Amino acid sequence: MKNRKIIIAVGLIFFVSVCLSVYILRHSDRQTVEIVQDGAVLYTFDLNRAEDQEIRVTSAEGGYNLIVIKDGTICISEADCPDQTCVKMGVLKSDYLPIVCLPHKLIVRFAEGEA
Amino acid sequence: MKNIFIMVMSGICMMPLLTACGNSADTVHTADLFAMDTYMNIKAYGKDAEAAVTEAEARIRALEQTFSVTNDASDIRKINQADGQPVTVSADTVSVLQTAQEMHHESGGALRISLYPVLRTWGFTTGAYSVPEADEIAELLQNVDDTKISVDGQTVRCPAGMEIDLGAVAKGYTGDAVMEIMQAHHISSAIISLGGNVQTRGSKPDGSAWTVGITDPFAPDMLIGTVSVRDKAVITSGNYERYFTGEDGRRYWHILDPADGYPADNGLVSVTVIGSCGAECDALSTALFVEGTEQAVQHWRRNGDFEMILVTSDGELLLTEGIAADYNAKNEMPCRVVQRNEEP
Repeated sequence: MKNRKIIIAVGLIFFVSVCLSVYILRHSDRQTVEIVQDGAVLYTFDLNRAEDQEIRVTSAEGGYNLIVIKDGTICISEADCPDQTCVKMGVLKSDYLPIVCLPHKLIVRFAEGEA
Repeated sequence: MKNIFIMVMSGICMMPLLTACGNSADTVHTADLFAMDTYMNIKAYGKDAEAAVTEAEARIRALEQTFSVTNDASDIRKINQADGQPVTVSADTVSVLQTAQEMHHESGGALRISLYPVLRTWGFTTGAYSVPEADEIAELLQNVDDTKISVDGQTVRCPAGMEIDLGAVAKGYTGDAVMEIMQAHHISSAIISLGGNVQTRGSKPDGSAWTVGITDPFAPDMLIGTVSVRDKAVITSGNYERYFTGEDGRRYWHILDPADGYPADNGLVSVTVIGSCGAECDALSTALFVEGTEQAVQHWRRNGDFEMILVTSDGELLLTEGIAADYNAKNEMPCRVVQRNEEP
């Protein structure tokens, strides 16, 4: 009788921890990106789960950037800034290289970026 | 026996929980700001991180005003408009001027802050890019001479007609100032990125080194590699950072050679300097870019308190021996390690 209780207890603990492990592993599978303008986070997406969409972000001075999420990638496809640096960056690839539009103070980056 | 078995099993089962909690032990605080014509990101870990980051932001804003070439109240504007008269400036400006003067000397004149009017006529300070006429450049170069800038205590005097810009040193100095604030707040783990400049304090909260990405100058949306550092500045000057394509189809970039007033084209497309002092590394990265491959290597052999990562215009990567072990390549660029002692 005592043995059975112990087995059930161990089994329960094991089951719960497996569930937790799966949850945590799934959690770390996230690829969170942020769209930040002038210090404020406007949008947060998990790239691995986000639907394909276009987001138009307008700057305080009236300029715009068109951000495209497609097949698990994110890029700025269009902007009316003079240098077009953000468009030339292509899709977001690395923690180290956020997409930055200086004239519109806009950043697209991975949320856990390091530098 | 069974109890021990249960304890061990429970311990194993609890592991995912423990590792999940371990990461949140440090308070992290970050800030994004646009200042000094670039995007900056500050990240600090520790109890006092929020106060440290808030203070750092205020310090950056203040230094931006001090070093601005357009703000009428700035030290630099006052110097440039003094028409040869002495001007009293802040300790920050004096410090940056001294670093610039030392680097001017060490680099045989490769760094010249009095090159500002030439930089402006190319449009690199305004965004109105154009290739100037040769005689216009020649005329402007007559007023370019850093040896005529005098700094005495907090009094600075530039000859009439000369104008200076601290752009080659100011961001590195600002990074140092931020790191001083981190130290005052007992932050042992912090990283700041100011455009092409990254400065680190200590190591990551888990004790491992910071990794800093090095941009591929031939494809600026990619990295050529990363470098692992602790307590170091990693500062890059590259021809991809600010440039325009002229009507002749040629690319003109913002790092000018004081010898002729045209974009420096002495064999290098990117120079990364790794060292303890941000202001020095910043000044060095510009100076070494102008000096070119051979001179840069000689410069490093003479003054060895820094390391460098050079990318040549023909696509070769040169690493100095002190950083080679900490470099992690991300592409197939041919690579050579430069030794301290000249090869026979």
